[in-house]
Amino acid sequence: MQTAIQLILTSLQIGAVYILFSLGLTLIFGVMRIVNFAHGHLFAVSALVVASTVPWLVGAGFPILSAYLLGAVAGVAVALAVGLVMYVGGFRFFQRDLVGSFILSIGLVLLLDGVLLRTFGGAVRPVPDIIPGTVTVLGAAITSQRLALCVAAIAVTGLLYWALTHTKLGKALRAVSIDHEAAMLQGIPYNRMALAGFMIATVLAALAGVLIAPVTIVSPAIGADYLIKGFIAVIVGGLGSVPGAILGGLFVAAIETVGGFYFDPSSATIAIFVLVIAVLLVRPKGLLGHG
Amino acid sequence: MASTIKTVMSRVLDTAMGTAIVAALGLVPGAGAARAQETIKLGLSLPLSGTGAIWGKGSDFMCKKAAQEIAQAGGVKVDGKTYNFECIAYDNKYNAAEGTKVAQTLLNREGVKFIGGSLGTAPVQALQSLSERQGVVLFTTAWGPSIKGPKFPLTFTQMNTPFEILPPLIRYIHEANPQAKSIVMLNPNDATGRDTEGVAKKVWTETGVKVLSSDFYERGTTEFQPIAARIASLKPDIVDLGAMPPADAGAVLKELDVLGWKGVKVVEVGTGIDGLKATGGNAIEGVYMGAAVSLDGDTATAKQKAVNEEARVAIGESLNAIQIGFYDAVYALKAAMEKAKSVDAKAVGAAMPEVTFTSFYGTPVDFYGLDTYGSRQQMRLPVIITQVQDGKLVERSRIVPGTK
Repeated sequence: MQTAIQLILTSLQIGAVYILFSLGLTLIFGVMRIVNFAHGHLFAVSALVVASTVPWLVGAGFPILSAYLLGAVAGVAVALAVGLVMYVGGFRFFQRDLVGSFILSIGLVLLLDGVLLRTFGGAVRPVPDIIPGTVTVLGAAITSQRLALCVAAIAVTGLLYWALTHTKLGKALRAVSIDHEAAMLQGIPYNRMALAGFMIATVLAALAGVLIAPVTIVSPAIGADYLIKGFIAVIVGGLGSVPGAILGGLFVAAIETVGGFYFDPSSATIAIFVLVIAVLLVRPKGLLGHG
Repeated sequence: MASTIKTVMSRVLDTAMGTAIVAALGLVPGAGAARAQETIKLGLSLPLSGTGAIWGKGSDFMCKKAAQEIAQAGGVKVDGKTYNFECIAYDNKYNAAEGTKVAQTLLNREGVKFIGGSLGTAPVQALQSLSERQGVVLFTTAWGPSIKGPKFPLTFTQMNTPFEILPPLIRYIHEANPQAKSIVMLNPNDATGRDTEGVAKKVWTETGVKVLSSDFYERGTTEFQPIAARIASLKPDIVDLGAMPPADAGAVLKELDVLGWKGVKVVEVGTGIDGLKATGGNAIEGVYMGAAVSLDGDTATAKQKAVNEEARVAIGESLNAIQIGFYDAVYALKAAMEKAKSVDAKAVGAAMPEVTFTSFYGTPVDFYGLDTYGSRQQMRLPVIITQVQDGKLVERSRIVPGTK
């Protein structure tokens, strides 16, 4: 029983970050019909900014929580700036162009790889414990930081879901995602929606980076692993589908956790790819994909 | 327009004249020495991006450091001529595909005849397939026994490998922790990890420790909770994280600590404490390592401390055994060229097993390996056993291998 609870908790913790990550990917695809391989770098930028600023602020005498919150604001701001440059200077010209956006985003990956390495160096950057301690849930151990991460990720996901279903902007984004020409005929400004969708996705990636920074290995290469898992999650769930991204994120996390526990980590990784192949064979548009 | 061209020409001439005068006065570093000197390119194939970037950057730094020291000391004297080294680094991304591209670039475009260092078993195998055929001397940190032996007379290893490190390290750990009877092993799922696991499993078994499980994970993994949960569930006395990069090993140890596992922690070819501490925090206390070097303590010389401090500023971490190997290879090449009285790669390769040079470790070092590899291709470097104590790296034992 304790093992089962430990595995469920682990799946939820890992899945929380995968969900935030894949929501951004699916939002960009839904609105702009592009794939952004540089999405992981937006995540890496915010994590690196947090990892750089928090120790500096703590050294300057700030309390740890204040330092982290200031670092988080800085991380999201820098990621937003990078995202805006990426959109205005690049993706704006490749909307609904899968091949063009693919090539552009690969170029951006190479460019940002070099820029991040030059700016932050290759060394792993530690972030001090923000909420120290471990809590026990039904006999299973979890760090307070991981628990806070989980709660924050669920809150952000809930907020996004509410915004997409209840606000004017959210409804407009969904309309564009379903049929952009019909949406434009209804007076929805497509270009503004594309920018809004891209920037919301950037905020989601940045928040994921901010939340994961205190509990993981922060280096310029951090985005690559999450990008692969995030893409698998949205492909399994269905490109462009928000519930699909949530389901896919949890699914990938569960296989990674259970497979890694009962077999070995490499087998779990293989199992994730086998799952993608199986889903694509049975449901080419993903579990909850449409259109 | 004409006046602009005239101004530019005038500036160029002024600059050229100024440089010539300064050079004549010997004020430009190396300018005086450069008059009768030639440059020997040292190719480097290493990861300069991704998770191994810190090792690659530090290795490049150490190659350049040794080349700079040799230039300042008057260069390499061969047959009445003086040569200096130039280190040329290319990013192999720690994989075979990029390693192949780097090999082609170094050997066929740059025309390099000496590889001052190469990192990562898979890219090194790609490089070696060309270097031996083209008569190029290859220094490598790669571990596989398959890349050494009489079939590869121009290949030399510039750091201790699991064959050198593991027997004394495991014996030491076993003697210090006789109550520990079972072990779980974890390694990266690549040539480096597989090579390490093969040797380690054999030595642990011979020591009488029961191997409960030996797993592999993919490099680049960032979530280690499932792995830690599996390890903790097996309840081993020892956890051996073999060839895991320090940051990954630290992350596993932290998760194990959260799960309440207490036991003997080993990162067999762990190269340093900085990355380990960055992710592992206090959970790294007591970790044994076989490839780390303590350059802060009393055992370090003033020179070692100074270079280490310079490296910290340049790359953000302390130096490790891998990076030191790139420094030592430059001095080994200098010694072999001077012994061979030639800069011909084949002659230098033939002279290499006979040379002795002063290593960064501060002691004379030669080549050995007849017993293990069938030829003298391995630098006889001290095996330094370290342990983390109160958050610092402490040297526990230093073993100099035998003569063969």
